Amino acid sequence: MIEFEDIHKAFGAQKVLDGVSLTVSQGRIVYIIGKSGAGKSVLVKHLVGLVRQDSGRIRFEGEDITHFTERDFFGLRRRCAMVFQHSTLFDSMTLVENVALPIRRHLGATQREALEQAREKLALVDMAALSDRLPAEVGDGLRKRVAIARALTLTPRYMVFDEPTTGLDPVNAVRVDRLIRDLSDRTGVTSVVVSHDLRSIFGVADRIVMLYQGKVLLDGTPAEFRTSHDPVVRQFVTGAVEGPMAL
Amino acid sequence: MSALRFAWDEARGVARLLADTAQALLRARPPAAVVWAQAFDVGNRSVFFILVTLGFLGAILNFQTGFQAQRIFGDTSLIGAATLPILVRQLGPTLVGLMVAIRVGTGIAAEIGSMVVTEQVDALRMCGAGPVDYLVKPRVLAGLIAVPALWVIGTGAAWMAGLWVTHLAFQTNPATYVNLDLTRGADIAEGLFKAVVFGILIPVIAAHSGLQARGGSEGVGRATTQAVVSASLAVIVLDLLIGAVAFGLRGGAGA
Ligand SMILES: Nc1ncnc2c1ncn2[C@@H]1O[C@H](COP(=O)(O)OP(=O)(O)OP(=O)(O)O)[C@@H](O)[C@H]1O
Ligand SMILES: [Mg+2]
Repeated sequence: MIEFEDIHKAFGAQKVLDGVSLTVSQGRIVYIIGKSGAGKSVLVKHLVGLVRQDSGRIRFEGEDITHFTERDFFGLRRRCAMVFQHSTLFDSMTLVENVALPIRRHLGATQREALEQAREKLALVDMAALSDRLPAEVGDGLRKRVAIARALTLTPRYMVFDEPTTGLDPVNAVRVDRLIRDLSDRTGVTSVVVSHDLRSIFGVADRIVMLYQGKVLLDGTPAEFRTSHDPVVRQFVTGAVEGPMAL
Repeated sequence: MSALRFAWDEARGVARLLADTAQALLRARPPAAVVWAQAFDVGNRSVFFILVTLGFLGAILNFQTGFQAQRIFGDTSLIGAATLPILVRQLGPTLVGLMVAIRVGTGIAAEIGSMVVTEQVDALRMCGAGPVDYLVKPRVLAGLIAVPALWVIGTGAAWMAGLWVTHLAFQTNPATYVNLDLTRGADIAEGLFKAVVFGILIPVIAAHSGLQARGGSEGVGRATTQAVVSASLAVIVLDLLIGAVAFGLRGGAGA
């Protein structure tokens, strides 16, 4: 279980999160939605300690992680992996070395063992032939697949996906959606997913949380979102250009 | 006032990163192969640059010293003996430090800075590899190895250029020029100490600037400039401070 309680975060004078609370139950998939710049990425990064709150509390599996140090987060990041918005592979390492890094660092494996395991992981996502390429030598979609493979190498119990389907073709987007659903249904992984992709939001989410102007505007099931009468929610869900949503 | 404030914050940030790096080094040493590769990279990137700049500056120093000596004493036979200790303990380490700050500090700041703004550093942290462990530590060890080596090379190049120029300008006999009588163990110790300090500090300052990078490529550019400015200033200020302390320890110019 993940609990955010009244999280405030500002960068300089810019308030990004202005009292956000939300709870993610075990094994569930929660989607975080909101317009660009709403603070979705900032919010999810709090969970793994990449961004630290100005005030508020965060609990992870019942443990208060609000004041965790960077070293404390080290262990947490083994249990909770993250796929970054822009895939974010290490551009000086080949794809297989990218996947091997968490195996080596988190599990203390030797470079050879780690590379061997990483090759197997890449074979699972049909990327064995490309494993010695550099990230710059493959397309966006493939990079995203490698980033997901890297995040899943340690079979984490929790996953943060930041826009996992953005930039993927429809077929691969559906694959990723299915993967997220399967992780939850088959192995009980708890996922927090940031997305703009209405198809995957309504196809996969157990719950949806919409951020607006630094606060949670609506927290509910997909059905509740579809039937909401809130004009901002309606505008987002229908993708209308005209509406009350502030730019 | 704000510039002072900035310098103070910068110095504190660098001191913290230095302490973190030392702590990380005590926990675990990075693989030797990585350190050597980085050290060679530092050396290769700057050795030509250092040979040229230190060569010219050594020629200039000896030429101007000889010029003054000839005016005042009408004798240039002690130029080589007189300039070697200055090169060894002061100009050698400082000029090498400045050149490494320019040539290598910028590279470190740009590399780490672009990894920060593209979130690669965050991704490293997610993979269990902190930036200090993974990026700063090997570069500091590499600097620690490479800068003293470059100090020897650069000082040698400067002094040899002096031999050539004094021979051309004042017909000084090379055998007279090569005179180690005025160079003491303490001069060598001071020069080596400075080279070691700069070798550690330049990568730390550059990495600190890189880690502070914010925004896009503009932020990387700013971090890179910041790295050269801070590292060069640190080299010059420490040159004076270490020189003064060494002078005190030696009990003046006699020793
Ligand atoms: N490290 C940072 N320093 C300063 N400002 C930041 C930082 N990270 C994020 N911001 C700012 O916080 C705001 C929210 O950013 P965030 O990346 O969370 O948006 P988002 O909801 O993920 O948007 P998108 O859909 O475009 O990814 C933005 O205005 C961004 O400029
Ligand atoms: Mg985002």
